[in-house]
Amino acid sequence: MEQPLVDLRVLEIGGSVAVSAAGKKFADFGANVIKIEPPTISEVRKIPPFPDDNFHIDHGAMHLAFDTSKKSMILDYSTNSGKEILKRMSSDSDLIIIDLPAKDSEELINLINSDAGSSTNIVTITPHGMDGPYKDRVENDLSIFGWSTRSHRHSISGRAPLRYGPYAGIVQIGSTAAAVGIAAVWGRKADGIARVVDISGVEALMGNVDSAFFLWAVNGATQPRSSGQSRGLYPMGAYKCKDGYMLFSAGRDPMFTKLCNAIGRPEVAKDQRFIDPEQRPSHFEDFKKILEEWLITKNKYEAFDHFQEHGVMACPVLDASELQNDPQTVFRQSYIVREQPGLGDITLAGPPFRMGGLHSDSWVSTAAPNFGQHTNEILKQYKYSNDEIIALFRAGVTT
Amino acid sequence: MSNHSLEGIKVVEMAEAWAGPVGASLLGDMGADVTKIESYPRHSLTRPTSSRYATMPGNGPVYERDALHHQGNRNKKNLAMDLRTKFGKEIMRKILSEADVFIEGYAAGKIAQLGFDWEEVQKINPNLIMISIAGWGLAGPYKNMVTLGAGLDATTGHLSVRGYPEGDFVDTHPNFHSDATGSSTIFFAILTALIQRNITGSGTFIDLSQWEALVWQFPAILADWSMNKRIPARLGNADMHIVPHGVYKTAEDDKWIVVVAENDDQWARLCEVISHSNWADLSHAYSSIIGRLKGRKEIDEAIEQFTIKYNGFDCADLLQKNNILASPVVTPPDVLLSKQLYERDWHKTIEHKWTGPVMVGGFLWNVEPDNLDWNIPTALVGEHNKEILLKLGYRSDEIDAFYKKNVIGNKYSD
Repeated sequence: MEQPLVDLRVLEIGGSVAVSAAGKKFADFGANVIKIEPPTISEVRKIPPFPDDNFHIDHGAMHLAFDTSKKSMILDYSTNSGKEILKRMSSDSDLIIIDLPAKDSEELINLINSDAGSSTNIVTITPHGMDGPYKDRVENDLSIFGWSTRSHRHSISGRAPLRYGPYAGIVQIGSTAAAVGIAAVWGRKADGIARVVDISGVEALMGNVDSAFFLWAVNGATQPRSSGQSRGLYPMGAYKCKDGYMLFSAGRDPMFTKLCNAIGRPEVAKDQRFIDPEQRPSHFEDFKKILEEWLITKNKYEAFDHFQEHGVMACPVLDASELQNDPQTVFRQSYIVREQPGLGDITLAGPPFRMGGLHSDSWVSTAAPNFGQHTNEILKQYKYSNDEIIALFRAGVTT
Repeated sequence: MSNHSLEGIKVVEMAEAWAGPVGASLLGDMGADVTKIESYPRHSLTRPTSSRYATMPGNGPVYERDALHHQGNRNKKNLAMDLRTKFGKEIMRKILSEADVFIEGYAAGKIAQLGFDWEEVQKINPNLIMISIAGWGLAGPYKNMVTLGAGLDATTGHLSVRGYPEGDFVDTHPNFHSDATGSSTIFFAILTALIQRNITGSGTFIDLSQWEALVWQFPAILADWSMNKRIPARLGNADMHIVPHGVYKTAEDDKWIVVVAENDDQWARLCEVISHSNWADLSHAYSSIIGRLKGRKEIDEAIEQFTIKYNGFDCADLLQKNNILASPVVTPPDVLLSKQLYERDWHKTIEHKWTGPVMVGGFLWNVEPDNLDWNIPTALVGEHNKEILLKLGYRSDEIDAFYKKNVIGNKYSD
């Protein structure tokens, strides 16, 4: 079967982790994605880990994962010659995703849409959006997450607020850009109108779920931050078992009753100390003792099976060493092994979804391109002559 | 001419908690016509009937004022229906026959029990796109297992890399990151299938494992193991290769600020502002990245001696004016202090029957020339029963009979 997005041409500009993650969603399902990289080396290529901790411009984990199935060209789009190339390339593109400072993005939007009647869908990713007093602020993975309310929420009172795993927020912003980008592509095909989408990273993080703002705004509630374990809506959080930790999301009924049944203590689910919202917090330690007495005799996979048999939302806390051998992962082949030229076999996450079912052929993963691997090929595709390409190379516009 | 990207797309959503409902709301934001099929008479986790859970102020039923429900269900109509009944199934068949997209978010096998798995729905409507979003997908030993986003965070390895370096997992708050990322992946998957339908002329089925969709977001976690046989360390806010890169105290109790200097230029500007300009002189060890990596503790202390004199917003303003990466660590009430969000008119006020006007967060994106709006506030249980059934061709007396037979409903009992 032909891949679903094979007719789409997508340009990603900026070389950031966010724009690379956005472009990958399209490349995964067959779109022709060209990664236009600055001569100064894309951010996504600089992010560790690297194999054996040896830095290499083509071997960073983020690049290997997020740039699969794309082509790479190097272009100095700050020069007039670079802009001329970009304008030519944009003319037959369905979508351009840009992650640059707001003023640079604005300039590219004006450039791309400067001819009457020629316009394409553009998504800009910036930390704070394309207008407003903070539009020129610089942020990174940590600082933008600080704005999201999620750092503060997921920390302990009096101790430093915490980000999530490195680049978790940035990749979420990239996924958000991909979603609205493909909607714009659909919209243009339906009504002929090209969209210009402004994604503020802060708004994308704060406006989605997991943010604490909505809950506070609508009912004034702030989340208790005394512990990772909820003391009101318990059990919610990680609890120690025989060989690690189990994560529970079982504070609400009917989940709480099921959990009490699962540990052989059905009377707890009827005990006012544990169900009356007024009394509950002051009896947290009593409940914790009851649960941990049961848990400490079970290893995490044993507890996982048992709780799930009772319909209780409880899961083992796994680390990186346990992921590939997890029975579900093995069954679904959730990770793939693929040869990366110059590096050998590497392991990557498989499809984010399976079109047509489990054994889908709609998803592809070809090697992530070396830095500027396709510059020459792409310029020829856009009818530049060999001499013109050499001229651009000598001037440092391409590499 | 339409100016909503997804105008004309009919979406049927049957999902609970967050990833599925939020994905459907995002489609609604972009102009799709979304109908939520709400479980009835069983109520979902986010429709509690007991007042023991935190609810939004107001006088109406508790299940109409659950904040978690409101957060994930804007811009969709609501049909509350018992799909186990003969007439419920009949109504569902009619709805699906006219739909473009069907989102179902139950554990594997549940939708088949109700008679609406892919095998059946493609007979009803071969052009339909159906997406199942079971936590671990529709196949495999975990297919029947249940979880919320926090469980996916635990089993994908993300929980293992976040949290305080010196603490244990008990100190790490559960999160719902998978719902935030899953919603956009669901959205993307549906649009991919719609584009494919334009090519093939027929619908398709999508098996979206929320676990796999989340793992996609974290390539570095597995890479450190597969490349280097190393379990990634919990670094908290630190970056092994960047100093300073941290969260620091401010003048206000339990209020914090992020400060980062990623290169020598940013570092020199920071040194100037915190009155340690000699630390940027070539003769000083900290003027180089290598020196700073060795001086993390002293540098962090010096920065905190500076930040602790200011509140987070003022300090961030001062540092950002000097092109230094800095942001206040924002609490929910602090969001209202952001001049940026105010200027961009990000917050919205919506009116709801039982809660009155409430202020909520805005959209994830601005789309020109589309005009995004919170057109339909979180719908009441069965609020659109009559409207939807009339459109399907049912008469008013038939609809009344459906109420009497509990095929449809508009209130839950304990």
